[in-house]
Amino acid sequence: MSTTSLPESLISTLPGIYYTDEAIFALEQERIFEQLWFCAARSSDLAGPGSFKTVQIGRESIIVSRNRTGAVRAFYNVCRHRGAKLCTEDSGEIKRAFQCAYHAWTYDLDGALIAAPNLTKMPDVDRSEFGLMRVAVREWLGYVWLCLADEPPSFEQAVMQTVADRLGDLESIEHYDLDNLSVGRRIVYDVKANWKLIVENFMECYHCATIHPELTEVLPEFTDGYAAQYFVGHGAEFGQQIEGFTIDGSPGMDRIPGISDEQDRRYYAITIKPQVFINLVPDHVIFHRMYPVAPDHTIVECDWLYLPAVVESGQDVSLSVELFDRVNRQDFDACERCQPAMSSRVYAGGGVLVPSEHHIGAFHDWVRAQLSDVT
Amino acid sequence: MIRVCPLADLARGEAKRLDLDPAVAIFHTEDGEVLAIDDTCTHQDASLADGWLEGCEVECPLHSSKFDLRTGQVDAPPAKRPVRTHQVTITDGDIYLTIASEQPNAPAGVDVEAGP
Repeated sequence: MSTTSLPESLISTLPGIYYTDEAIFALEQERIFEQLWFCAARSSDLAGPGSFKTVQIGRESIIVSRNRTGAVRAFYNVCRHRGAKLCTEDSGEIKRAFQCAYHAWTYDLDGALIAAPNLTKMPDVDRSEFGLMRVAVREWLGYVWLCLADEPPSFEQAVMQTVADRLGDLESIEHYDLDNLSVGRRIVYDVKANWKLIVENFMECYHCATIHPELTEVLPEFTDGYAAQYFVGHGAEFGQQIEGFTIDGSPGMDRIPGISDEQDRRYYAITIKPQVFINLVPDHVIFHRMYPVAPDHTIVECDWLYLPAVVESGQDVSLSVELFDRVNRQDFDACERCQPAMSSRVYAGGGVLVPSEHHIGAFHDWVRAQLSDVT
Repeated sequence: MIRVCPLADLARGEAKRLDLDPAVAIFHTEDGEVLAIDDTCTHQDASLADGWLEGCEVECPLHSSKFDLRTGQVDAPPAKRPVRTHQVTITDGDIYLTIASEQPNAPAGVDVEAGP
């Protein structure tokens, strides 16, 4: 596209190269995913002392685990000796220490170097100085959030305030008691699309009437094309005949006791940049985490969270899981449909956003600002 | 006989490395026994005082060799040769150590400048 001016109804998207270019992706890894708070794991995935997960954040492999006292710790998955990867499994449980498989440098669950061949002959080696490199950790909403930045941005400002801005206040999400919900289902999606296409898709509902017949049946106002994320504090209301947030509108599970009457029969959606989407409905919470792996490849891990009693009693949650699982597949199919065209010569200048999508422009401005050299 | 430290300074479940030549590890077991062995694993140079004390046995932190603290014998490989045990006495609340007279079993490479 040339630089002809657009009619007022339309604003430009990012140019196509932002969705395909290795150098831009590398910059995003460096400036976005390795700098901001990144939601890495469900707290309950780390059952107790010694249980660990390895997660890829930006270009780094990170070990998340619990120490002796049960506190979450995170470390770069890099031996301080010669750089060998300490943990090669995605998850597991170690008994007492992380040990490098190369020269047996051994670290305790707080990352301190506790043993190495000939270490006693090197009394000048400070065992904490040569411990594993630590990563900042926060636990919130029942998830473990990590930040690789040397000076992490304020979690309150960067993460909690985003939620408060969307819902109007922080109490609104606390009503759902995410800390204490249980994972009823987890589905991992392998999406052949750039992570930004997924964010953009999640932010707008212009597509809802076209690709989400089941969702618009439950949330009729979505046919207007205005996403729940367009208005502060707005939750999309269930249709009159709809009894629950399920594939067929049948009743859901027990309502989460803390939610307010205003939150009943409504659907809220929150995007926490750069990689978290949350959906709140009266009886469950759908929590998405994205892991960008390549310019055209993103893994999305999605948890369906219910009251512990629902999960423990083995109630069938499949009707509610199926609704958003279908929405996810419809969305990710759409993203994968866009990805190949991102490198088309006719998309070099990008596409356009209609008025109900204009708020995505703010996301694009944010991406550009993160990548710019202006500090 | 060497005076080590007050017994009160070595909690149950803890170990202490004495920088003698060769080094000695003193363990205070959960059952309240105080036992001493050579600190250096006979497989590769590692401090057994940094290892994992379980009952009357210590596991080397590097390759999981296990030694019986009472006899010095190897309970689990890869170590093959025993460590020496040293006599411990407690007098007036202090730990005293009498070093064994036999030759220690040093791992390969210790006391000798050698590589693979």
